[in-house]
Amino acid sequence: MIHFYVCLKQVPDVYAPLQIKDGELIQDSGRMVLNAYDASALEEALVLTEKHGGKVTAVLAGPEKAKETLRKGLAMGADEGVHIVTEEGSAYDSLYYAGLLAAFFRDKEYHFISCGKQSQDTDAGLTGSMLAQLLELPYATNAVGLTLEDNRLLVKRQGDHGQEMIELPSPGLVTCSNDMNEPRIPSLKGIMQSKKKPVETIQASSLTGDGIRSVTTLLGYEEKPKREPGQKFEGDPEELAITIAGLLDSKENLM
Amino acid sequence: MSTLLTYIAVHDGKIKRSSLEVLSRCNELAAELGWESVALVLQPDATKAIEGLKPYGPAKIYTMSHPHFHQHLTTPLLRAIGHAVKEIQPRVVAFASTEGSKDLLGALSAAHGSAALPDMSEFSIDTEGVSGKRPVMAAKILSSVRADGSPVFVSVRSGSYNPEEREGEAAVQELSFSFNDADLRTTLREIVTATSDKIDLSEAETVIAAGRGVKDEEGRALIRELADVLQAGVGASRALTEAGIYDPSLQIGQTGKVVSPQLYIGVGISGAIQHVAGMSNSKVIVAINKDPDAPIFEIADYGIVGDLYKVLPPFIDEIRRIKSA
Repeated sequence: MIHFYVCLKQVPDVYAPLQIKDGELIQDSGRMVLNAYDASALEEALVLTEKHGGKVTAVLAGPEKAKETLRKGLAMGADEGVHIVTEEGSAYDSLYYAGLLAAFFRDKEYHFISCGKQSQDTDAGLTGSMLAQLLELPYATNAVGLTLEDNRLLVKRQGDHGQEMIELPSPGLVTCSNDMNEPRIPSLKGIMQSKKKPVETIQASSLTGDGIRSVTTLLGYEEKPKREPGQKFEGDPEELAITIAGLLDSKENLM
Repeated sequence: MSTLLTYIAVHDGKIKRSSLEVLSRCNELAAELGWESVALVLQPDATKAIEGLKPYGPAKIYTMSHPHFHQHLTTPLLRAIGHAVKEIQPRVVAFASTEGSKDLLGALSAAHGSAALPDMSEFSIDTEGVSGKRPVMAAKILSSVRADGSPVFVSVRSGSYNPEEREGEAAVQELSFSFNDADLRTTLREIVTATSDKIDLSEAETVIAAGRGVKDEEGRALIRELADVLQAGVGASRALTEAGIYDPSLQIGQTGKVVSPQLYIGVGISGAIQHVAGMSNSKVIVAINKDPDAPIFEIADYGIVGDLYKVLPPFIDEIRRIKSA
């Protein structure tokens, strides 16, 4: 019986319109979603346990209102949930969350911890390998495929110049790319069942450990420098091709 | 004296341009602060990189040689960098942001109980720590961040700085490294695919990116031909790498590689947020798409509304004519 813990994060919807006011990020919709990379990690754990038997526990560290995202994980098919409740509106960094999760995992038994490789809002991609380091687990990042083989995980990972097949022993930690699968949409039945699934609630303040602190400071947000508006050309394809090639040569000096 | 350490990535015997960009920035900051900028190379025979590195003017080149450094193996790399940090005691350890450094940064930060600032588009250093900016929210906006203490682990997006040669004769020091294979923890079974392209996409001066509009072998051939004429690297949108039409290593975007070439030509690319996050810092953007409302046209300097199959052949011919003139 293989046991996966999958770490989930609630993130603002990066596709929704946003604006910056006095250095603060404001999203009118306020729409919060399950981090897409975490959804892929969960999907893969579900596929593997459906095939080989086992259990999937979804763990989410976040404020009270993030519980809906944990519910989504349960509706997708996780067997049980753990909500580590953090203070509302506080800016914690990756090391804080990794420290919190490490304190939670310290006395747990499991085969694998799986996380998204990064979160869609910050793209930092630190928490997974931080958590592995704090728990002294072997790890592999940026997985694009997972296979289970005698309680070992075969991780196909995307490297800089190709893909590598890495054998990860248990217990171990893997971080997943969204290039791995298409996460399932919870069915109505899944949503109904999720309401009966056990969720353990733990206050973040009750978890203790050396690593639970933020070491970076977010100073604020600003707009990216705007690009100069460009030109759009329509017309005969051949004429367009010659015009643009000419401009890239004469005006941009790129030939 | 305080020290800034740049990790130098080498692939197929060639020093990565993105590492030289980071080294050049560290050289500049060290000069301002009266500190020392040094470089670290981990290779099967790291001394081979010395000559290529010297013109870029680090005060010192630290080499560490071991057969394991031929591949990306997480545990040996973590041990080696940890050992170097202990020996050199740098205030900052800077990396080019690559899949390789992304794999290590969090673990290094946690192991040292100190901060990591990943994927920065600019950074500065003062006596207390590191500050700078990084793109967030699918690279739509910038966040300003700061980390105090030492060492701070920083990774920098490619194209953020220029590699610059400078005067000076670097001292070379070899650091010893031994590794017991029983400590490997994970096993690299095989390299599944390796891109055969001679031009490294993340470092190319010109990038041709293929999107959904490139439907067939004929389209791919046109992309190849254009890339050859311009000596460009070829990348692709997520749709095409997921469909198996292009190698996954070639994906440009939030999930894949970040490119910032002098010239980017998007062919049949619509310009989805996730793709734009990986190319919006390109200097000149050319887009070819038959849909006049494609979002790529909002950021393109030169937007060509047209069928790529009709535009590319005369475009390639004209570029060839200009080049030979």
